[in-house]
Amino acid sequence: MALAIETIGLTKRYGSLVAVNKLNLQVEKNTIHGFLGPNGAGKTTTIKVLVGLLRPDGGTVRVLGREVYGDVPESRLKVGYMPELPRFPKHLKGWELLDLYGRMYGMTEQQRREQIPKLLEMVGLKGREKDFIGKYSKGMQQRLGIAQALLNDPELVILDEPSLGLDPVGMVEVRELVKNIAKEGRTVFLSSHLLFEVEQVCTHITIIHKGVALASDTLQNIYSRISGAATLVVELAKPIDSVADVLRKLPFVSGVEQGGRMLVIELKTHDDVRPQISQEITRAGGVIVSMSFKGRTLEEVFMQLITEFGGQK
Amino acid sequence: MKTKWQSDWKTRFWAVVKYELLWNIRKKKFIGVMALALALATLSLALPVLVRNIAGEYLPQNPDYVISTGVGVGGLGMFLFAVAVAMNSISGEFESGSIVPLLTKPVSRTIIFIGKLLAAFITLLAAYASLLLYMAVGGWIIYGPQNNLHLLPLSLLGTLISTFVWIAMVIFIGTLSKSSLLAALGAFGIYMALNISASIISVFTSQAWILNYLPGSGAVGFIKENGTSMSVSTGTDNIASNIIKCVLYPSVEVAYLKFSFAPGNPFTELFREPLWFVLLRSLLVAFAYIIGLLAIAWHSFRHGQVLE
Ligand SMILES: Nc1ncnc2c1ncn2[C@@H]1O[C@H](COP(=O)(O)OP(=O)(O)OP(=O)(O)O)[C@@H](O)[C@H]1O
Ligand SMILES: [Mg+2]
Repeated sequence: MALAIETIGLTKRYGSLVAVNKLNLQVEKNTIHGFLGPNGAGKTTTIKVLVGLLRPDGGTVRVLGREVYGDVPESRLKVGYMPELPRFPKHLKGWELLDLYGRMYGMTEQQRREQIPKLLEMVGLKGREKDFIGKYSKGMQQRLGIAQALLNDPELVILDEPSLGLDPVGMVEVRELVKNIAKEGRTVFLSSHLLFEVEQVCTHITIIHKGVALASDTLQNIYSRISGAATLVVELAKPIDSVADVLRKLPFVSGVEQGGRMLVIELKTHDDVRPQISQEITRAGGVIVSMSFKGRTLEEVFMQLITEFGGQK
Repeated sequence: MKTKWQSDWKTRFWAVVKYELLWNIRKKKFIGVMALALALATLSLALPVLVRNIAGEYLPQNPDYVISTGVGVGGLGMFLFAVAVAMNSISGEFESGSIVPLLTKPVSRTIIFIGKLLAAFITLLAAYASLLLYMAVGGWIIYGPQNNLHLLPLSLLGTLISTFVWIAMVIFIGTLSKSSLLAALGAFGIYMALNISASIISVFTSQAWILNYLPGSGAVGFIKENGTSMSVSTGTDNIASNIIKCVLYPSVEVAYLKFSFAPGNPFTELFREPLWFVLLRSLLVAFAYIIGLLAIAWHSFRHGQVLE
């Protein structure tokens, strides 16, 4: 298992406040890893340590196999980073900024000429690249932030709340963007306090609260670990008694309850088995009106974890 | 990979210089100071002509006009240029938050620091060279053919060194406080305090030597050349004019006088030293301040965390 990010016992204090407390974080390569936590959980602090803006008070930090220690510019070559609410020099034009940052990455003129228009198009800033950044809206600066994080075709992209300050359309666009970024064989590490965002985009998540990691796993495992088995609720056009018996024989079904037209099916798996279920019901002569998972949302998982954590204290 | 990384450090370094240069020349402060300097230069060239014209006279030819005015930027002018160029250089990036994306690019903080200094140097060089050219051409037209124009590059160099003392001061305060306002005000306070106390200390006490080790205008001394007496300021602000004087009058001596209200001769001579020595010392003092202040600022910038 190759790791893009690994922290062992990472601790960071601001005076007496412990912002990150003995955090063990493992981000596998080629995953989209969500870093989830409420406001003030320590997400930005952790990320700033990862990119070398803050010095840890304890623990070790490895990014792309290299220990983060001191000012080693070479280690930043393959890492793209978008700060939380990024701010750029107001006196530069959008494309000038990307061009200068590109030079700082050591990109050739040819590479810059190919890459920059592509990125501007991708983040939706095409046509505004000749304006001064001082004239950009918050959302436009945010988009520029994403573009500059992708300049050097990084192996690891770290995004700190990429959709903060964006309108609903922008948020959807950013989500699509993140999925596309990851397709190209990259690791994406993104922080968010928006559960549905992480749920829709990420393959892995780490939940952090008050500087402590509460859970870290694949999205699926997190669901199942906390919520137990998933439940499927099926509504039939009219009640048919034999259906329940047929379903009980399926290997991934642990129990079926029937109440009139409604079937509540307990599953042993978290795979999407709706096609098999609907096939069996149809074969038994049932007509399905609706079918939905009554899985726990990440929100519920999250609340449960936080309450448990509070209870332990 | 390794070799490529090492070979393109120049690209990365010049990217920082360009990043900073674009900022310098687009800053309203800098454009304002430059416009002010050009306006004052125009005034100082045109006013004598106008006054004489009103009086119905012609201005006499003066072949030493240009060399005696040099770049034409005095102590306050150099201070203003320094503030305009340097006050936001590092602290401004912390204040706006643009330091965060900058420091996470694969460029070392040392390179960023040096790149910013070089950009300040280039900006000042361009500003001063154009002022000098303007004064030289204007002076030639108004006062006729000029002597010793080949010494102008020395005057330019001297003015740059003098200004860099203030640049170092502004960057020092700005980097440590991370506040542009404090950088400008703090440096201005020091400039004013030194300026006011310098003239008093120089004339009324016998401690003028202290001023030779402080930045700014320094002590006031007098030189006699061909029977005419001229005053000389010995401080780091006056390197340019002292270089020119040194070349023109190589063996001249500077006398330091003390003024007293006692009856009889109000001036007593404290001591004298050769002008070349005065110049050499002010150069060493200037470099000591530049290197010392910048070294501390660099150290703090290199090891500082970005809490913003
Ligand atoms: N520069 C700072 N000085 C002092 N305390 C700080 C500083 N930055 C953050 N903190 C504190 O550290 C803790 C963690 O903050 P951090 O910004 O890492 O949280 P976060 O998870 O990114 O929150 P958000 O979702 O609001 O961005 C908070 O309690 C915060 O008040
Ligand atoms: Mg944050």
